Amino acid sequence: MKADGLRAFLRAAAERMAEKKDWLIELDSRAGDSDLGLTMSDGFAAAAKAAGDSDLEDIGKLAYTAGKAMASAVPSTMGTLMASGLMQAGKVLKGKEELDAQEEAAFFEAYFDGVQQRGKAKVGEKTFLDGLWPAAESLKAAAEKGRLTAEDAENAAAAAEQAFENTKGMKAVHGRMAIRGEASRELYDPGAAVAMLLMRAYADTKKA
Amino acid sequence: MKKIINTPENFIPEMLEGIYAAHPGEVTCAGEDLHCLVNARKHPGKVGIATGGGSGHLPLFLGYVGEGMLDGCSIGDVFQSPSPEQMLAVTKEIDQGAGVLYIYGNYNGDIFNFDMAAEMADMEEDIRVESVVAGEDVASAAPAAEGEPNKRRGVAGIFFVYKCAGAAAAAGKDLDEVKRVAEKACANVRTMGVALTSCTVPRLGHPSFEIGEDEMEIGMGIHGEPGIRRGKLKSADEIVDEMLEPILKDLPFREGDEVAVLVNGLGGTPLEEQYVMFRRIRQTLDARGIKVYHTWVGEFATSMEMAGASISLMRVDTELKEYLAAPADTPFYKQFQL
Repeated sequence: MKADGLRAFLRAAAERMAEKKDWLIELDSRAGDSDLGLTMSDGFAAAAKAAGDSDLEDIGKLAYTAGKAMASAVPSTMGTLMASGLMQAGKVLKGKEELDAQEEAAFFEAYFDGVQQRGKAKVGEKTFLDGLWPAAESLKAAAEKGRLTAEDAENAAAAAEQAFENTKGMKAVHGRMAIRGEASRELYDPGAAVAMLLMRAYADTKKA
Repeated sequence: MKKIINTPENFIPEMLEGIYAAHPGEVTCAGEDLHCLVNARKHPGKVGIATGGGSGHLPLFLGYVGEGMLDGCSIGDVFQSPSPEQMLAVTKEIDQGAGVLYIYGNYNGDIFNFDMAAEMADMEEDIRVESVVAGEDVASAAPAAEGEPNKRRGVAGIFFVYKCAGAAAAAGKDLDEVKRVAEKACANVRTMGVALTSCTVPRLGHPSFEIGEDEMEIGMGIHGEPGIRRGKLKSADEIVDEMLEPILKDLPFREGDEVAVLVNGLGGTPLEEQYVMFRRIRQTLDARGIKVYHTWVGEFATSMEMAGASISLMRVDTELKEYLAAPADTPFYKQFQL
């Protein structure tokens, strides 16, 4: 993947978030303040625009720039978390103009780490991390064979989708959903839905 | 919605323009962004103190920027956090070579953004930043267990934290010392609120929550977060008793302690009612043998037009009393030496 690949991925993410905006709003309205659809579509649009406007070839710096643009555009809880993921991926991949398979998988691992360090949640606590984790692991395993194909990306997206389904049944520990305690088990996690859309966007990009 | 505004979209920028126009020479903005408000007067070598948060709580947060209190504040839309870039712009503007302390309320959005701003200040600007997060609303969560993060919301009691840390910084203390004083103030303050009506966020245009004409909610947060009990409106004395008891039990405040008291109106409750509340507070404290060092009554942290009030108590010692007593001069808060 080169810088243009990252630009395409962010554009695809912005399209996916815009397309599913109402669905995210609906998921979030059952637990949060229902602004998730807006912050995610606006946030990824800002990230995609910043990346598109920049002529950086350094993928790390480009991801960091896109993350900062997102943080400025949507300084809500989830907006800042997603920006933190991009910025952490940027720090880890700084100086690289082309990513090999393992570095491409490392992008999602770093994204996971960035969100994890900012939000201080753990896997299993019904958050975005639960959606991203299995997908990042699946990519990491696939990358060991030396290249990442459209099929690998599709598998990662499917893993994220399954992981999203699995958040129903989990008890929320963070955010407004946690106020519901045991009753939160009946709800899907909107953050994991964002992870699913993000991996779906990655699969779109690999297919193109 | 019945408000004196032009358009909901311009509510915050126009409010900010009004504040800069009314207080020239006292506050100015950093980087030409109205949302980045700083003290117009600079004090080389002094620790800078920054806060920030959503709009809709005046005088919180920006109202405490001035002499003897805070140096800068980043301002978000109504009940929305400002961005890390805005926080960073304030940080750069107020750094006088002695580092910057962030003091803000315990809300996830604010924490994430201030943490990101602190990282950016360190990585991009070489400015040392420390943070103190105030969370003293006893109704919002149980006290944090050993090693667990504090889950309580930050509300009006942060005024005492600003006052003490601001006085310490004005006295020339270094960053570690100012941070210690802020943490000490946080550790000794407790708050509880009551709401009688909702507020309306201009962009939404409808009340944030429903509450009956004859109802009150004990422990409700300043953004309408659920409290601990909703019921029929009671008498002032009964309301105060229900709010004060959990505060006293929590620290706990004991016979012989000395306290600073803050009665805070949420925006739609007149001073008359707040003083009726203080009368009962004073009776209870006297009966428990708790000495009142000083009392503040008024609007310190509001929720726009919400009717209701909060009570904050801070246990004080010689050091905290000295910092509370120091003079302060901001557009929204003025105090002579006590």
